[in-house]
Amino acid sequence: MEMPPGEQAATEPPDSGAGGGEGRPPQVAGAQETRAEDRLTLLLRLRAQTKQQLLEYKSMVDASEEKTPEQVMQDKQIEAKIEELENEIEEVKTAFEMKKLTIDRIQLSTALSKNLEKINPQTSVLMDNMKHILKLNKLIMKSQQESWDLEEKLLDVRKKRLQLKQASESKLLEIQTEKNKQKDDLAIMENSDKIKAIKQNLQMEIQITTVIQHMFQNLILGSKANWAEDPALKETVLQLEKNLTMI
Amino acid sequence: MSVLRPLDKQPGLNTATILLVGTEDALLQQLADSMLKEDCASELRVHLARSLPLPSSANRPRIDLIVFVVNLHSKYSLRNVEESLHHVDATFFLGKAAFLATGAGRESHCSVHRNTIVKLAHTYRSPLFFCDLEIEDFRATMAQRLVRVLQICAGHVPGVSALNLPSLLRSSETPAPEDL
Repeated sequence: MEMPPGEQAATEPPDSGAGGGEGRPPQVAGAQETRAEDRLTLLLRLRAQTKQQLLEYKSMVDASEEKTPEQVMQDKQIEAKIEELENEIEEVKTAFEMKKLTIDRIQLSTALSKNLEKINPQTSVLMDNMKHILKLNKLIMKSQQESWDLEEKLLDVRKKRLQLKQASESKLLEIQTEKNKQKDDLAIMENSDKIKAIKQNLQMEIQITTVIQHMFQNLILGSKANWAEDPALKETVLQLEKNLTMI
Repeated sequence: MSVLRPLDKQPGLNTATILLVGTEDALLQQLADSMLKEDCASELRVHLARSLPLPSSANRPRIDLIVFVVNLHSKYSLRNVEESLHHVDATFFLGKAAFLATGAGRESHCSVHRNTIVKLAHTYRSPLFFCDLEIEDFRATMAQRLVRVLQICAGHVPGVSALNLPSLLRSSETPAPEDL
């Protein structure tokens, strides 16, 4: 259901006729002038309104006309177009957001400056807050400086450690080469003829000594002397038991 | 069933027409009265409707702005608005439609959750106002706002079009409708 429209009583702009409404004779002429002026402004305003409305209708017509070529286009083209338009929308959106943020900031700063002008600088909470913020900023800067110094120190220590590591590495390499050299020398020596001859000699001597040992043992046993009584003799006999190849 | 279209008639000279849709007749009448009291250079016409579609026979001027008034205390009012929305052309939601939720102040009386109407407004990409129409001062403020919006929608403010309204009325706290 629709109710009958409620209408505003005054058709003219509210300001019209305000000057002559009181009915004072000296002001009547001036009131007529203002009325003419009011009419002029009304006409100008109506022109602006009509222009704006015309613009809206035009944009409406344009928008509805744009639909027809889309039907002719291929699917892929449409998809590409959609993507393009979406990108455009995104760009416009970000630009809009940025602008809004900037405006917000400008508004805020203007309000703040106006406020600052108004209030007493000695007692305001805002100034206290700002001072506090400055203090905190100084503290933060100091702490950052400290942390930077500490970081520098840490870096120095790390550098030193790296240098030490490199030095130890080179030392270890030297030791390794030295050891290898020794090994090589040993191998060379073992393989030489002299060593072989000496080894053969040693083997021969060991065999001879073993035979002599056995001989002495048998001699002592054959003499039927009680070798266990004399400690010196006992030691000698037991010494002859040693296997010379195990030395 | 006639679908309501914007810009389908020629505009009246210096006339701006608003259509208030809602089940709360008394509140709508009060809001209309406060709007007519507002100091405004254009000639205001306020139409009240309980629901859409409007009877086709009536000789009515071009409608520049539709405001759907939802009373959060009654589920019927929400359903009525939802049904009425079907009879509105899509181009109306390019800035020439708005939602007005009343009664959010007394939460204990609410039978419709606030989020429901927020989602509805987001679905139709239209601005949403909250206002307790029963309180005189709030009603006056809302009437003032609506008159300004109506003037823009009727093309009485040079340089600003109704197409600008959805993005201009979006506050920075509420996310863009695509994000929801």
